[in-house]
Parts: sequence; structure tokens; C-alpha cells
Amino acid sequence: MTTPAMMYVHDWRAWQPGRRDTAHSRLSVEEKPAGAQVPMMLRRRLTSIGRALCDMLAELDAEADYPLLYASRHGDGERTLAMLEALADEAPLSPARFGLSVHNAIPGVYSIGRGNRRTQQAIAASGDEFAALLSEAQGYLHQGEPSVIIAFAEQPIPARFTAHFTTPVAAAAVALRLSLTPSDTAWSLHQRALANAGSANDADAPQPSDLIDWLCGLRDELPCHRQRLAWRLERTG
Amino acid sequence: MTSELEQELKQLIIDTLELEDVTPEDIDPDEPLFVEGLGLDSIDALELGLALQKRYGIKLEADSDETRHHFRNLRTLAALVEERRNA
Repeated sequence: MTTPAMMYVHDWRAWQPGRRDTAHSRLSVEEKPAGAQVPMMLRRRLTSIGRALCDMLAELDAEADYPLLYASRHGDGERTLAMLEALADEAPLSPARFGLSVHNAIPGVYSIGRGNRRTQQAIAASGDEFAALLSEAQGYLHQGEPSVIIAFAEQPIPARFTAHFTTPVAAAAVALRLSLTPSDTAWSLHQRALANAGSANDADAPQPSDLIDWLCGLRDELPCHRQRLAWRLERTG
Repeated sequence: MTSELEQELKQLIIDTLELEDVTPEDIDPDEPLFVEGLGLDSIDALELGLALQKRYGIKLEADSDETRHHFRNLRTLAALVEERRNA
């Protein structure tokens, strides 16, 4: 049974350092991504994941002209925790670190570095980031944007917090260029509702590494049980 | 001619401000540190102020003409540290 496509995936890039089991031309496994598209004076403030995202976005949006919807559940937990610990010790905070502690820090640096003045959104959705990104993307596309970029990035949770999460988080980032228009090489993205009420377990929350499996064809369907939704790709190109 | 203190301050600037591709030789003691020259920004100014406080015990007003003078280039910064360190 074929459902109509909700959107089309025109291109994608992913980053997961040290991943050995998968080779794909759109997947980088670099431990130290270059971030070469961003001037050094801005790049120096980005960690590896920020550099990886800037590399990916430069390839997906060569003209730096698409709206960017970015999501991360946890953001940069290590830096945030380090600042909280400094506050607890009554030590002065690093202004540069503080300046980059906002959730939209990476998209912000990217937009300055690449001169992209389009809409940006930074989302955290308690594990439903991919569902949220797709809803937001649909909104922009149905309002008339020809294409949008969605990006989803996570980093390992600081050791101090891991007891509160059932699933370990791998450092990984993924970005897709979406539109409502098909093309010869675009993949169609289909959504279906899941019948059963899933558990509200953290283990069910799709993470960037799960998206990479899905985009690389290692799994057919990407479910989000808490939203009772699942997504499937039909590949042409 | 670069003094020992100037050399130390160059390294402090590079380390504190994470200037990954900059070597001490790249910093001309007479060139501006901010906007032009080395091209540091306002966040760097705050960060550098904090480093001077930690390393040398020097406290500066965040937005005074005097601070602007001290932060003009490496030589004015070295003169400040020479005069005020652990005073």
C-alpha cells in the first residue's frame, strides 16, 4: 500500500566519528572535522560537532540560502555542566563559553560564518526531535519555501547525568534538504501512524545515529513510539 | 624586539582565545589586537580581561577609555602588566 509522500529528501549528510561498520559517501566518520567553510576566528569557538555541522550544511546549502531547522535534545551538556560547576565554585565564567551556551549556538555561528540570513530555529523536544523537525519543515514548505534544511545533532550526555537516561547517546549529526517537489534523484518520505500506544520510554526516541542507519538503508522504518509515528523512505536515485 | 613578557602574553592570548592557527610569530607587537590586526572581538576582550585577572591579578573596567588604551596592541598590554602585576 502506498501512501502519498509527505516530503522529498533531496540530499543529506551525516557525521558519526569513528563509526566503522558503515561506508557511505554522504557519511563522514572524521574524528576532527575541518569546518573549513567557517572563518578561523569563528571556527575556533566550535567543538567537533559544530564543525561537522558547518561542513555538512555548506554541502547541502552551497548558496547559504535555505531556512535551517536545527534540533538537539541535550545540546552541549559538557560545557553547560562545566559552567554550572564553575558557578557552584564561585569561579568566573568564561565569556566565550557562556556566549556559546545557547541552544542555537551552532546555527548562529554557521549563519554568521556563511552569511545565511534566512530563518533559523533551534528545537529541543524531549526525544521527539525528528518528529518536531518534520512538522516544522512541513510548515515552512507549505508556506511556500522551496526547500528547507533540517539538522539533528547529539553528543554523549555528561557522566554525571547518564543515570537518568536509559539509552547511551553517541556523538552524531545528520542534516537533510527537504522539499515538497519530487525529482529524479530525490527519495520520497512517507509517514504512517502506529496503532499501538508505545511506551514513553527514552529508548524509543530516535537519535541521529538511528537516522544514519535509516538513511544508509540499514533499517526500513524509523519509528517514534511516543508520537505513534513511523517514517519510511522510497529510494529512486 | 620582543621581550620575555611579550612572548608570554602572546602565548596567553593564543591559549586563552583558542587561536588554533596562530603562532606567536604571527602576532605583531605594534599591530592592533582588536577588530583590525589580529582581529579579536568583544568576547575576546572579556575573555582576555578574565585571563589577566587570573594570571596577574589585574582588574580592569570592562568599558573604559583606559582599558581601550591597554588593549590596543601587545606593547600596551605588556606595559600594563609590567606596571600592575600583583600590585
